[in-house]
This record gives sequence, C-alpha cells and structure tokens, in this order.
Amino acid sequence: MNESSEKAIWLLFVEGDLNAFSTLFKLFYDPLHNYGLKISSNSEITEDCLQNFFIYLYDNRTTFGTVKHVKSYLFVSFRRALLKSLKKERKYTDLNLAQENSTAFEFSSEELMVKQELTKIRKEAVAILLNSLSTREREAIYLKYYSELPTNRISEVMDISYQSVLNTLQKAFTKLRHHLEKHEIKQVFNLN
Amino acid sequence: MGKCNQSLLEILLKDSSFNNWAKKSNQNDMAFWEKWIREHPDTIETVYTARDIIIGIAFKKDILPEEKINKELNAVLAQISLKKEIEDAKKVIPINRNPRAKFIKYSAVAAIGLLVIVFGNIALNSSSEVTHKTGFGEIINLKLPDGTSVVLNGNSEIKYSKEDTRNIALKGEAYFKVKSIPATKAKFWVNTKDLKVEVYGTQFHVNTREKKTDVLLDEGSIHLVLDNGDTTEMVPGELVSFSKENNRISQQKLTTELPYALWREDTYVFNNITLEEVMKNVKHAYGVVIEFNDEELKHQLLTGGIPNQNLKICLSAIEKSTGTQIVNKDNKLILFKNSNN
Repeated sequence: MNESSEKAIWLLFVEGDLNAFSTLFKLFYDPLHNYGLKISSNSEITEDCLQNFFIYLYDNRTTFGTVKHVKSYLFVSFRRALLKSLKKERKYTDLNLAQENSTAFEFSSEELMVKQELTKIRKEAVAILLNSLSTREREAIYLKYYSELPTNRISEVMDISYQSVLNTLQKAFTKLRHHLEKHEIKQVFNLN
Repeated sequence: MGKCNQSLLEILLKDSSFNNWAKKSNQNDMAFWEKWIREHPDTIETVYTARDIIIGIAFKKDILPEEKINKELNAVLAQISLKKEIEDAKKVIPINRNPRAKFIKYSAVAAIGLLVIVFGNIALNSSSEVTHKTGFGEIINLKLPDGTSVVLNGNSEIKYSKEDTRNIALKGEAYFKVKSIPATKAKFWVNTKDLKVEVYGTQFHVNTREKKTDVLLDEGSIHLVLDNGDTTEMVPGELVSFSKENNRISQQKLTTELPYALWREDTYVFNNITLEEVMKNVKHAYGVVIEFNDEELKHQLLTGGIPNQNLKICLSAIEKSTGTQIVNKDNKLILFKNSNN
C-alpha cells in the first residue's frame, strides 16, 4: 500500500464508508499498537486507548480538514491521545511516574536483526547501546527504522523541527559508532 | 569525537548516488565515493554518520495475528453502530416538554435497552452469520445456498444468517439472479439502508453507493418496502431510486432519453450520464481519487457500455468513448481533454 492509495482510502472513509474505515484499521492497527507499547509499556492501556482512538476517528471524520500524509497523521493523533490517557492514569499510580519516561522506547535484543555493519557485535551489546541513548533519540530511531516514517514526517509526529530530527539521529549514530568502535577494540584485546 | 558538518550531512542523505555507496548497491557509485572520501579525509566523521543513518538499524517486526486485529475491529465496529442506533433513538424524543414527555423519555430508554439486547444477540449468533465482502477492484460471483446467484462489485458486502439464506443485507453494489421456488412460493429479500426488495424469482441490480439506493429490474416482478413504510411494485425495465435522507422516490421506465447507470457482471452501462457521475462509480469500486484537469469535462455525457474486468480496461474504454486522457498517478486519476480533439 503506497501513500496515495492510503489517501484514497482515507477520503472514502471521510465520506463515511465503513469498508474504507475497516481497511484503515487493518493497515494501521499493528503499527500503532506497537508504537503505543513502546511509549507506555502497558498493553491494556494501549489497547483501550487504540479502540477509543479509532471510534473517535470515525465519529469526527468530517472535522479533520485536509490530511497530507495518513500514516503520520495517525501517529501524531494517537501519540497525543495515549499521552493524555497516561497522564490521567498517573494520578492514580504515582509510583510509576518517575520511571515512565525512562522506560519508553526500550529495545530488546530479540527485536534486532543482525545485518551489515553490526554482524560482528552481539545483538545484546547493540540493544544496551541503543537503550543508553536519550528517550528522544530512541523515539526518532524507532519512528525512522521500525515505523519507517520519512524524516520530515517524524518531525511532525515528535513535534520538533526537521533540523532537530536530523540532529537527533546524527547524535545517536555518532554515539553508537564510537561505542561500537571501542567495543570492537576491546574484543580484539580480549582474546579469551 | 570528530565534528559533523550539518549541511554536508543533509546533502549526502539526499544524494541517491551516496545512498547507493552506503548500501553498496552500485559499483560505479562505490568507486566514485571511495575516491571522494580519500580526497576529503576531513569529512570522514560526517560521511560515516550519513552512512549509518542510511543503513540504520534493522528491526524484527512484531506482527500481531490477524484474528487479534479482526477481533479488535469487530469490537470497534459494534460500538460505532451501537452509538449510531442510540443517537437515532434519541432523535425520537421531542424537544418541547409536554405532559407526555416523561412517558416518551421512558419509552426511549426502553428502546435503547432493546437495541442493546438485539446487539447482544447478534454477537452471540455471529457464528451463524455469513458475510461476503469484496476489496477495491475485486468482483466475485457467488452462489447462495438456495441457488440464487449474486455478482458482487468491488468494495461491497452481503450478509445473511445461515437460518435464513433468502434474507440478505447489502452494502455497495450487486446484481442478483434470484432462484424462484415455485413449490413454496418462498420470497427473497434484499435489505439496504433505504429500502427492502421483496421478490419471488427475478434478475435485478441494487446500488447503495451514494446517499440513496437504486434498484433496476430486468426480469420478473419486485415488491419494494421503503424505509418510510411506503410500498411500490416494479415491472421489468423500471428503475427506482429512493433516499431515506430526503425521503424522495423516483420510479421511471428506462428509455433512451432517461439518464441511468447500471452494472452487471463485468460491464457498466451508462446512458446520458455525466463523466463526473461515471467517475464516481469508478471511485467506489476501485478506491481511487478522481481529479478533473478541466471543469468542462465533468459535464460531458457518456452513453454506452464500459467493460469493468479491471481498472485498466475500464479506464481505456472511458478514454475512448469520451475522447479524454486519464492519467493514473498512484491511484489518483487525473482526467485531461485529449489534445487531438
């Protein structure tokens, strides 16, 4: 499914076509579900919020104006909705408040595929390195390589400028590369 | 840590030849960039960062099972239609208060209660319900358990319960050849948002795409029950349009003067239909966006059969019979006046 057929289906959905709505749901449920889990680490909140989000979309379909890019539009709106309901939740579970931010966008080694430059290094090491980045850097990496959003759309989703997305990615990869180089050198000397 | 040059980074990221080098996908580009890097050793930090951003990180995607997504979708759809029913029920309550207001209010509450029960039943009996659904640009031929054949156009849906296979609900567009059962004189029903078609054995076409339902009868006879309770009989060759929204019915015999659009098996037949209306049919069946390069084109009339096996054939027939050029740009159809005309 390419961008413009997503848009064609979106326009039918705006006209109230339930078939088009179902198509959008099937296309984007999975990527939004995964994104929600990465933000909240809580599948119950994510799924409740997603259900309400899709119902909200249907009820308000005529009020959205022109949508340029369907996928990023859904990511932006869902992110906002989820953060709002997490905030509400925090009132009751104050203990988790401090950790909430730091656990967002944590990666596990099972999520990584060993490829190209990373073949020599164990996946665990890469996961640890990724998790040592800031939450913002991790989210940018997630949106670019997991959700496969174009860089200009990532800036919309994260509500920062295009330049800051580039900066963030650049910082993240510079850090990663220097860590990896050090790690490789260590491996060379640790021939046990 | 070395310095990274922002503007160079942006240039490299956008350069397709550099992208090829990073992905090691083109020999010529690789040779060029190896040389370039040797000549510009001060840029190495930026070059490596750009390369890393392009290669990125390969994630294994965690895909949810289809049943899980369908289950969630059904829950959302049920909530949407429940909400709709409740809203419709609310509209019954009169705004001005009179002595009976309380009573009406209670009966409205009772009506909502009843709806919930009905929904509960639907959910419980869902296993005995059969649904056939087509995607965009997909046409299927169906044989129902009673021998009736149905051709379902793209982006359409029929639904019936296993206990009552001659009582079906339609969304979209379909052509029916209803098998008559003379022994029992069993009726066949097609239900749409606007009306109910009641027949013994006939051939007819139903279209619910726009904010109305069109029924065209080819053979036999039909009894229609409109959403407002009115009824009407149809004879072959007649076209009925009814919209519950504006409560308007039109019933006419097809003639060469009358504008009409119909669809059967894999052909559309248009008679004096504007190109704008013609393209609406294409839009619904294939899920495409329509754009007119020239406003005048919208009002051009089309008469004739348009084959509809697939989008390409359909468009080329429309081009030929209207002297237009249709450019398909990623599912957006742009109509141009043919420059030869």
